[in-house]
Amino acid sequence: MKLPFIHRAPDEASAPGVHPTPFWSLRPRTDRESGDAVVSNFMLHWFPAKVYKPSLDWNYSFWLGTMSAALFLLLIVSGLPLLFLYVPSVERAYQSVKDIEYVVTFGWWIRAVHRIGAHLMVVAVVLHLVRVFLTGAYKNGVGAGQQREWNWVIGVVMLLLTLFLSFTGYLLPWDQLAYWAVTVGTNIASSVPFVGPEVRELMIGGRTIEQATLIRFYVLHCIMLPGALGVLFAYHMWRVRKDGGLARADRAAVLPAARTTAPVASKTYTLLGVARGTAPTVRTSSLDAPDLTVNAVPDLARRAMIVVLATFAIVSLMASGIPSPLEEPANALVTPNPAKAPWYFLWLQEIVTDTTIRIGSFTINGAFIGGVVLPGLLLTVMTAWPWLDRSPASAAGRWFPSDRRRQNQVFLLIVIVVLVFTVIGMFLRGPYWNLYWPWESWPDIPGRI
Amino acid sequence: MSDHGHDVSKDSPSGVSPQDGGARRQFLIRLGIGAGGVAIGAQSVASLRSLVPNVSYDAPTTVKLGNPVDFPDGLKFLPDERLFVFRTGKTFHAISAVCTHLGCTVRAEALSQVQETQVGGQAMRLTHRFNCPCHGSRYNGDGTTISGPAPKALAWYHLSVATDDGQLVVDLAHEVEHDFRLTIA
Repeated sequence: MKLPFIHRAPDEASAPGVHPTPFWSLRPRTDRESGDAVVSNFMLHWFPAKVYKPSLDWNYSFWLGTMSAALFLLLIVSGLPLLFLYVPSVERAYQSVKDIEYVVTFGWWIRAVHRIGAHLMVVAVVLHLVRVFLTGAYKNGVGAGQQREWNWVIGVVMLLLTLFLSFTGYLLPWDQLAYWAVTVGTNIASSVPFVGPEVRELMIGGRTIEQATLIRFYVLHCIMLPGALGVLFAYHMWRVRKDGGLARADRAAVLPAARTTAPVASKTYTLLGVARGTAPTVRTSSLDAPDLTVNAVPDLARRAMIVVLATFAIVSLMASGIPSPLEEPANALVTPNPAKAPWYFLWLQEIVTDTTIRIGSFTINGAFIGGVVLPGLLLTVMTAWPWLDRSPASAAGRWFPSDRRRQNQVFLLIVIVVLVFTVIGMFLRGPYWNLYWPWESWPDIPGRI
Repeated sequence: MSDHGHDVSKDSPSGVSPQDGGARRQFLIRLGIGAGGVAIGAQSVASLRSLVPNVSYDAPTTVKLGNPVDFPDGLKFLPDERLFVFRTGKTFHAISAVCTHLGCTVRAEALSQVQETQVGGQAMRLTHRFNCPCHGSRYNGDGTTISGPAPKALAWYHLSVATDDGQLVVDLAHEVEHDFRLTIA
């Protein structure tokens, strides 16, 4: 089928600098048109002209970063109608969410898309991090001036922003889950010695969880955090370009050059977006072997669009079938029993439960150990890992290389521990946070004394 | 930096020596960057400072709880104050329901057997214990910890009788030791 709007008109003369058609070609017939599709398209200009073919493999990256970005886009889009419908006031927030759920036409579906999308974004971003770690993709390969380690740091910050976006999002309905999540979350901040109470006061805009708290989290959720994530996303993608593409592309360097490197037009390098300074010969060899690279348009663009479309489709379908819960309205007088955090914070809820330290009469609150110190340590080590990893550059961009076996094992162990804690929190914790088997019924506990 | 007494008109047709003009340009660039920095800095400070609350419209910490004779013998939970008020005959004491771990509201659970014990050097009959729904902390009927992550005992608050109407008054800003009892004649 010929799409008139995206297909380039037959070659016709046009003045220099003037684009002859209203749009651009996504189905280029020549390499020139293919490059033009990238450079003349605002949405695609951050693509390279050519990409290393194995970088596009489904089973190398699993396209988890693209998925995360697609989910972020979907969350912005589905958040827009919600912005019109939600009222950030402690008196009206709950009722407005209830209206979105039960009164507004398609409101339930938009809310479900937003909610499922948010859950899946946490999953996708975490899996993306796991993939990048296991493949050592934060490592610099052979390209001069690569700074992949910094993109890893940006990625970690983006994960934190994603989690904070989820946190600020699920308390907006101002139901019981919201109220007690804020109570516990901000009390964790409050457990930090010396500055804790002040930090909490700043977070909730006073000493009690009230209107000032809701509006703070609302503005963070709708403006500050998405804005920060968007800016970091742009820089993240720019860095991928400027570090020479996925770490896997560095492997082209170990392949023998098809022929001796002749000077190549520098523009080619710029389009590929390799590195500063002198162009690394690695690019030349990969460029010299035309079967190793493909044009970004259509090959990369096509796959990216498939991923985005599939992500949207999955979320839309899941949203049609999975209802979004809404607990009772926030009630400062009654803590639900058990009061569970959303699944991605359950491991934290589990470790704040288990880490109160008693040495004689001296006690350190688990809120501080499990809520601040342990996650902080984990985060610090994770952030600094690219500098601690001493494996050779050849280990970059490979699944389970033998040079990185030990660190991959330790990393997976930590992931498994977090997962085990999550499962315990999800399925084994009952009233008063007691342990019950899933097949055991919970005892009848009166709602109030 | 530059020589100010220098006659600049001789050096260049524009009347500005390259040296002098360079210094002036440098100065203006720095002035521009400085002014921009000050503007952004001041606006950031103002914006961030505005988010630090100057006033907190907290609920009053001294609350009238009602007529003492209306309290049942044993325990009464007051959700608004998150407070348990205990009465044994004419003696009262009050224990906070705010878990010392992360601030959830603990729930009282009646003991199957009354515990006779010494609290603050005085005999006390404990009829309940307290459990936290958030992270499973457990407390004895006098608020001391049994198990779980809670780092310290539940707070005891000062009780008094209002001079005007004789109501029971709690001071939520005034923690007391476990030997505190209010006895009403």
